[in-house]
Amino acid sequence: MNGSMRFDDGNSVAIWGFTDTAAGQGQMDGMGGGSFPSPAIRVTEGQIVHTALTVPMMFMHTIHHHGIEPSWQNDGVGHISWDVTGGTYTYQWKAAHAGTYFYHCHVNTPLHAEMGMYGALIIDPKPNPNDPPGTKRAFAGGPIYDVEAIWACDEIDPALHTLQWAAGTCGGDVGLNNFHPKYFIITGVDGANSALTAPGIAVNMTLGQTLLVRYICAGFFPQKITFGGLTATIVSSDGRPLPSAVNVTSIEAASAERYDCIIKPTKTGTYTVNIQFLHWITGAVLGTAKTRINVS
Amino acid sequence: MERRSFIKMGGASIASAVLGSGLLSWVPRSEAATISKTYYITDGTLTMPDGVAVYFQSFSDATGTLTIPGSSIICQEGDTLSITVVNKLTKTHNFVIAGLLPTDPPLASTGNIASGATGKITYTIPTGKAGSYLFYDNVTSYNRFLGLHGGLAIMPSGKSNQLYSGSPTFVKQLFWIFNDIDPNLNSAVQRNATIPTSFTPRYFTINGQTSLPPGAVGNGDPTKDAMANPKTVLQGSIGNRTLIRMLNAGMASHAVHTHANHMEWLTDRGAKRPTVWKKDILYLRNNLGKIDSIFPFEAPPDSYPPTTTGHFPMHLHDEMSQTAGGGLYLFGAMTEIIFV
Ligand SMILES: [Cu+2]
Ligand SMILES: [Cu+2]
Repeated sequence: MNGSMRFDDGNSVAIWGFTDTAAGQGQMDGMGGGSFPSPAIRVTEGQIVHTALTVPMMFMHTIHHHGIEPSWQNDGVGHISWDVTGGTYTYQWKAAHAGTYFYHCHVNTPLHAEMGMYGALIIDPKPNPNDPPGTKRAFAGGPIYDVEAIWACDEIDPALHTLQWAAGTCGGDVGLNNFHPKYFIITGVDGANSALTAPGIAVNMTLGQTLLVRYICAGFFPQKITFGGLTATIVSSDGRPLPSAVNVTSIEAASAERYDCIIKPTKTGTYTVNIQFLHWITGAVLGTAKTRINVS
Repeated sequence: MERRSFIKMGGASIASAVLGSGLLSWVPRSEAATISKTYYITDGTLTMPDGVAVYFQSFSDATGTLTIPGSSIICQEGDTLSITVVNKLTKTHNFVIAGLLPTDPPLASTGNIASGATGKITYTIPTGKAGSYLFYDNVTSYNRFLGLHGGLAIMPSGKSNQLYSGSPTFVKQLFWIFNDIDPNLNSAVQRNATIPTSFTPRYFTINGQTSLPPGAVGNGDPTKDAMANPKTVLQGSIGNRTLIRMLNAGMASHAVHTHANHMEWLTDRGAKRPTVWKKDILYLRNNLGKIDSIFPFEAPPDSYPPTTTGHFPMHLHDEMSQTAGGGLYLFGAMTEIIFV
């Protein structure tokens, strides 16, 4: 997918991504059909998964299922496993552990991931035959939730969104070390304003319900998420349940970390969730993305 | 690709790189020992993957060479460290072993060592100090970025396979010492010019080297390529649980990412974690951050059909660190994980 994203200030940048042709999205044909982030992959623990990547162009891309640990042939690391160019490669792996992952291109990654070539990857536990039908759990034997949010938080440096796909790979200074993000987004939506109310990002729940937040640090710089005064119980991280759950009001995360958090509000209200993006050297707050948990 | 631009690491480092920090062998002793080591504070120039020559300083094994990081030391509680540091440069330096926790005073220090002078540490390690330590020069806030740093491992007394008494066990151990290099800083120091007030690193190293991928000059050469240096590469067969002592000598925080296995996260900045989490990313803080983790060398869990062999990367996920000179993806702080 070769598309674009428009920000709340009216500016836009080029975005690349993966499209799900089986679901009717356009191919990576430069015609812009597709979503940002790329469509989520959702499978059930124990399944053997085939992810077919078709690259109908000369460019090289891969899919690395981040946090999934397959054989090296299916790891999708450009140059190290192999690149996919002008054809289809089918990655085969087994969904061994329920939890939150993501997938991204692993070719010229400082550019291709920044350009938006990522999507969520969720492994649900096998349904427990003793649970009522439709019961949703974070992992086998884990907490039951009613409402789910997937927040892939990312920062965008427009200067990088003007580069060619192979920029810098044969040498030359194209600024891939010099990252100056200007926009701060949640699951493909500008966190300046739009994400406060965007359907599927802002959470609407009723008192008594349980929320599972799947927080993905999808950018390059560290982030600090706070939950608007709500207490979050971290039950799992990087696709592995914690030995014991931990209560927090904020989490500071590094690139590609995932935290699965259970939130059970005890009062109605509107809670504004903040994600601060921190400079990797100075720790300065470079920007903030916001969304809401509305509890009625 | 312009292969000619992949010139790497001038002659100064070749003799010393093999002696640098890396895989540690250890046999516990019932008797305390005196561990003696002499470092020389030296400078020199290394050629980066994009062909640019950059000035460095180091705690070297010999005069006239660079050793980055300085040769690591492994010892046990109760041992006496006898460290001699000879300053061959024109400015004052020192050699400080940072405390176990950020709030701890330094474990030991030479104090200031004037140009041409020799500093000395004689320090008997008390019980309770087992862990991973960075030694560095803190005469300025930036001297460690120039290469003046290295790793010290203190084993619990009488233990060969534990980080701290009662920790999860391992069979091998190594250091991953990370640095971020802004050549403007190094150049300012070399020229005795005004030190920049902000940094933009352009090179990123693990144990003093960048990776040099297939096709690059120096690929596969353990004296140049972090993907080939046996002291950096994680190599083992199933069950070869390996302790990784990660030290951040550089200016930036990093997200340390292993493929093939999650890591068991034992400590953060010297403190034992209350419980051991399994993570594919570990957040290595700036300002002297450090982490101990065990790479378990289990069969990659999501492989179908199952496998027990293969080559995988360890890389930092803050992808700017995977570049050199503003481009050259895969020429950054990265190494290889080999299941044999
Ligand atoms: Cu990743
Ligand atoms: Cu990776």
